[in-house]
Amino acid sequence: MGERRLKSILIILGSIFMIAFCLMPFLYMLIISISKNPDFLASLGNFQFASDNYHGILTIKSLHFLDYLRNSIVVSAVSAFITVLIAGLAAYAITRLTLLGKVFILLFVLAISMFPQISIVSYLYRFMGRLNWINTYQGLIFPYIAWILPLSLWILVSYFSQIPRDLDRAGLVDGCSKWQILRKIIFPVAAPGLFSTALLAFIFAFNEFMFAVMLTIDYHSRTVPVGIALFQGLHGEIPWGTIMAASTIATVPIVICTILFQRHIIQGITRGAVKG
Amino acid sequence: MIKKYTLKELSESYAFVAPLIIFVLVFILFPVIGTFLTSMFRDVAFLTKEFIGLDNYKKLLVDSRFWQSFQFTILFTAVSVPLELGLGLLFALLLNEFLPFRGLLRVCVLIPWAIPAAIAARIWELIYNFHYGLANFVVQSFGFSREPINWLGTSGTAFFSLVVSDAWKTIPFVAIILLAGLSAIPDEIYRQAQVDGSNFWQRFFRITLPLLRPVLVVALLFRTIDALRIFDLIYVLTKGGPGGSTTSLSFYGYKYFLVSDFGYGSAVSVTLFAIAFGLSIAYLRLGKFKEEIL
Repeated sequence: MGERRLKSILIILGSIFMIAFCLMPFLYMLIISISKNPDFLASLGNFQFASDNYHGILTIKSLHFLDYLRNSIVVSAVSAFITVLIAGLAAYAITRLTLLGKVFILLFVLAISMFPQISIVSYLYRFMGRLNWINTYQGLIFPYIAWILPLSLWILVSYFSQIPRDLDRAGLVDGCSKWQILRKIIFPVAAPGLFSTALLAFIFAFNEFMFAVMLTIDYHSRTVPVGIALFQGLHGEIPWGTIMAASTIATVPIVICTILFQRHIIQGITRGAVKG
Repeated sequence: MIKKYTLKELSESYAFVAPLIIFVLVFILFPVIGTFLTSMFRDVAFLTKEFIGLDNYKKLLVDSRFWQSFQFTILFTAVSVPLELGLGLLFALLLNEFLPFRGLLRVCVLIPWAIPAAIAARIWELIYNFHYGLANFVVQSFGFSREPINWLGTSGTAFFSLVVSDAWKTIPFVAIILLAGLSAIPDEIYRQAQVDGSNFWQRFFRITLPLLRPVLVVALLFRTIDALRIFDLIYVLTKGGPGGSTTSLSFYGYKYFLVSDFGYGSAVSVTLFAIAFGLSIAYLRLGKFKEEIL
């Protein structure tokens, strides 16, 4: 048995482990969500299909799951859109315009993104309290924008610096203003980059937990991760089926997006992290 | 050079950057400064605010629960980050091979990354369920243990459980950025090395690892900072228990904010901030230093 044969066996074993490790909890969630009893493993595989969990989570008003879902989608979408816009403006200035302290801005923003959230959240809590923004959409959207900006800026700077400069020179010759160049030349050319940045920004906002747990009180603004984390049964027993159905509804769209746009997402992650 | 810039041009450029700067200042930098200042006050709900200098920090030094969470946070980081980097590198190496269904495999690896940490924690909470969770089912049916294990109920197994769930959630990130680093290494180098008769391990240690070092440093930096501030998983899985043994610094600070003791909670937060900041500077120095000798 040569090195090559051994290598391919190791690769196959490794891949099986990799797939099982990554998919198992996800599949477990799906199975529990469609099972009548969450304890079928203990009763030796007595699995019974039931759609009650989905029915319950979607129809019982007092669970507020659909409210959480709507809050999450609105907050994440608005945050992602504004973040990409602001980061796009800044990335244009940093890659194209005469600007003193470009490197300082980039490094400053990088350092900011390393602050632990806990060192921000108590001040934000009282700041939002003074503005009467606790438990509102804007109370989450503003911190989210600031929180996701560093990553978005780094990704977009990396994209914009690859767009040939001749394009904007042509625009300058035609007498466009800088704003017009950005809007009519850079943004359309960088559309894939803007899209993948927005996608990442959306996922980051959708997944955020600590701000949401501190700055929301109830279903008026509470997001899905917090809602699911705080789900408790009415009578002590944790309603696992319902929780897993809610988790499935909340995560499957994101997972499908990830599958559809995997190239964009992977590019976003690597540009945000690796680009120096 | 500077003479070429006109004031008008500069102010126009700064207008483009201004929204970014304002957002980051108002919602991140000022809060951090605010937390820093608050940490020097006795700032508890219903009591008058009073400047007490470093008293909160002096109290930290003799607070055994603080040291317990300090120890947990460091230990958790020290165990989970190397594990995640190791497995992440393994996954990246696998994904870099010419496998059938390579795209599909990459998607599988991305899935844990896309799931919100709090929801992932809920799934793991069910997996670790004492009576009917998947973990005990696997452990018992493979005969590793006759009795079910109380995964989240004893401090050793709770620590282990947290490390595993955190690894699941974060390995994709490591694998993806290391994969980018791997695919940037030209195949020629490997082919040349193979012609020279080197074996797999020699190629791994003499080519792959050195060329991957900058990307590894980045992954190490991001993962360390993330592991130090772990919060979501603990909030859902253990609530810091049993007996406070899995209380991270983030969670410890949060507990004080919850009872409106802002002064002391801020001191805890500033401590975590200082650790994270110090480590990131150390890593960046390390990265730079290595660039210089390369």
